Amino acid sequence: MATSDKILKRSIDPSVHQMLVRAEGLGLETAWDRYEAMLPECGFGELGVCCRNCNMGPCRISPFEDAGPKQGVCGASADIIVARNLIRMIAAGAAAHSDHGRDLAHTLLLTAEGKGGGYEIRDEQKLRTLAAEYNIATEGRGKEEIALDLARAVYAEFGKQEGPIQFSRRAPQKRVGLWQKLGIDPRGVDREIVEIMHRTHIGVDNDPVNLILQGLRASIADGWGGSMIATEISDVLFGTPKPIRSLANLGVLKADEVNIVVHGHEPTLSEMIVAACRDAEMLGLAAKLGAQGINVVGLCCTGNEVLMRHGIPMVGNFLQQELAVITGAVEAIIVDVQCIMPALGNLIGCFHTRFISTSPKAKFPGATHIEFHEEQAYAIAKEIVRIAVENYRWRKPGQVVIPNDKVECLVGFSTEAILEALGGSLEPLLEQIKSGAIKGIAGVVGCNNPKVQHDFGHVNLVRELIKNNVLVVTTGCNAIACAKVGLMLPEAAAQAGDGLKAVCQSLGIPPVLHMGSCVDISRILTVCAAVANALGVDISDLPVAGAAPEWMSEKAVSIGSYVVSSGIYTVLGTVPPVLGSTVVTELLTTGAKDVVGATFAVEPDPVKAAQLMIGHIEDKRTALGL
Amino acid sequence: MEQFEGPFLLVDPQRCVGCHTCELACAAAHTQAGSIIGAVLAQERLHRRNRVVQVDAVKLPVQCRQCQDAPCVRVCPTGATYRTETYTAVDQARCIGCRLCMMVCPFGAIHVATTTVAGQEKRAAFKCDLCVDRPEGPACVAACPTRALSLRYPQREADRASQAAARQFLEALGSQPQLGS
Repeated sequence: MATSDKILKRSIDPSVHQMLVRAEGLGLETAWDRYEAMLPECGFGELGVCCRNCNMGPCRISPFEDAGPKQGVCGASADIIVARNLIRMIAAGAAAHSDHGRDLAHTLLLTAEGKGGGYEIRDEQKLRTLAAEYNIATEGRGKEEIALDLARAVYAEFGKQEGPIQFSRRAPQKRVGLWQKLGIDPRGVDREIVEIMHRTHIGVDNDPVNLILQGLRASIADGWGGSMIATEISDVLFGTPKPIRSLANLGVLKADEVNIVVHGHEPTLSEMIVAACRDAEMLGLAAKLGAQGINVVGLCCTGNEVLMRHGIPMVGNFLQQELAVITGAVEAIIVDVQCIMPALGNLIGCFHTRFISTSPKAKFPGATHIEFHEEQAYAIAKEIVRIAVENYRWRKPGQVVIPNDKVECLVGFSTEAILEALGGSLEPLLEQIKSGAIKGIAGVVGCNNPKVQHDFGHVNLVRELIKNNVLVVTTGCNAIACAKVGLMLPEAAAQAGDGLKAVCQSLGIPPVLHMGSCVDISRILTVCAAVANALGVDISDLPVAGAAPEWMSEKAVSIGSYVVSSGIYTVLGTVPPVLGSTVVTELLTTGAKDVVGATFAVEPDPVKAAQLMIGHIEDKRTALGL
Repeated sequence: MEQFEGPFLLVDPQRCVGCHTCELACAAAHTQAGSIIGAVLAQERLHRRNRVVQVDAVKLPVQCRQCQDAPCVRVCPTGATYRTETYTAVDQARCIGCRLCMMVCPFGAIHVATTTVAGQEKRAAFKCDLCVDRPEGPACVAACPTRALSLRYPQREADRASQAAARQFLEALGSQPQLGS
């Protein structure tokens, strides 16, 4: 079947085109079809002027100058409604990341108590470093003993009432001082999220600026709290990522092996699935059923977690989750939390694939629920893998179509790994930035969104940045998009400007550094803080910028907010639902500069977005006298 | 004849949920940007030509019926409101914003608002133009998530009704021979 223009316009990835043609032939719906059926999307929602926070409504503010209501039943203006809605998105995003962090803290606690069903402390050095940060005694103590104290200390961050959140003190003193002056230094992770829900209840906070400031406070509690805890404790438990080679795209599925896709966000389950897939008993069972092995592959952020720690191949990013199933080659798609489409439930009805949900927090129609508990982690993981392996016998080889597309990548650049690549200190990087060989650093992150041609925003933005000697650090679905087009190979230095090319070639690193999953944007904050501290300036003085070209989730709203609150100019590729309020729009795009030293911008064209970021980086260089 | 019997928009009140999507689609279709977000970003004025109203528990959009003998055309002192072969149009350049058309419209389907004509800000009349410049047809019809709106051609509707009635009569005739002679 020919590939129609309609399909070509949906993605830049040929493997996606191939699977969409197949989906069309089989009469299967994907997110792109559902998006088209949704059009036109509600303009009130797009503008953010719809309020459902009480039952006098739903209310919505008319965007028409001369007609329709300008206030909700309670009297809330568009400015108030937009601000309330926006910070509720931040609350949801911060809650998601922070709950992820909480789960990791819980796993560390169980492991320290000897109750973790197979977990161990893999990075003792990091454990000791973090313990020192928390003023926990390490001298002459065993790792379990230290871990117990550390687990209790990080666990306490969520329920803290008065602050500070310890990791937030990694930020330059100037930044912390600014947060304190503005009253947005978070007091506790959960407290800030709860306070958003309180303030946005009918009749509480009705000052758009005051509302947004609370949103920023909760987002800081995410970036420098929940997310950072998730990252750091994952490293302690599963090892701090080091550069490792792997492959990315749908072609990593294998025609003659049991294919298991791990999808979602937390590494707790996926780590154990990876281990169980290497279990001799499981491999024996697979062989008995005629499979050549067990091929576990990752999707979305749980994929990023196991990709950078174990080199587990990456089958795709967010919009490829349905396509992985449509290959007909997947025995099981095993999920935990976040960014898992409920559509998978219907889809697996057409294939032999088993859809296995594992979190008590996340059940799906059509899924088999096998609840995961850390205390029996390995045993449960093995049970899940057994179901997947046994399902191999139901695969219909005649109905398997696996795209050939797969590309090599070099991933796993944690802060520690970057330092190691630089020879142990940030100095060489700072020198290259000072000399202008590297103009600056851009963090490009975020989701996929069918409003943007899949991966087009990601890949073109990153290409434009490296061409202009901007080193790119990336996480999440952007990282996967970059991996799939070879931007994460040292050879991609050829696509970079001369200065960046030379630096990459001398260090043997790609111009686009994979720093992990979405919670690992906290790694980018840590790097920025370290660079700022080394230069004795604030983060907002650095020649750095952020971007989320294809963002869609509430987590992304929280991320954008903590990145801007940390002083980093951030360009969004899709418009957030704020345009209904001139006050909020101006605050985010202009006013925030005088408050936190950074703003948001919206630019759907990735090349223009890159130019905005480069312009910002140039300005910061000039201000620093570089 | 059929051309003269120009089309109009028909609403099925049972399907309307009062979401106002048709209003936004109408406003967006009449901007340069073509979308609400684009228009807000470009600081274009948004004007809807239709209006969702509620009568007791029933919600429905109201817009111009494209009257054949239109009171708005008869009352217009400058000829700004005029009848084409298919619809009742307003030439905003000739409109003086006197609001007489608003007063006489039995459907409340015309309003006067601030707009920019040839670079000049002025008050002028707005009404449904059936999106005649939009090849896909009226934006409100396409936008309605519950398909409550449709573009109807009165003569075609009448033809269909006549056909259906005639068929029903003939079928009745077949089963009731006493009607035959």
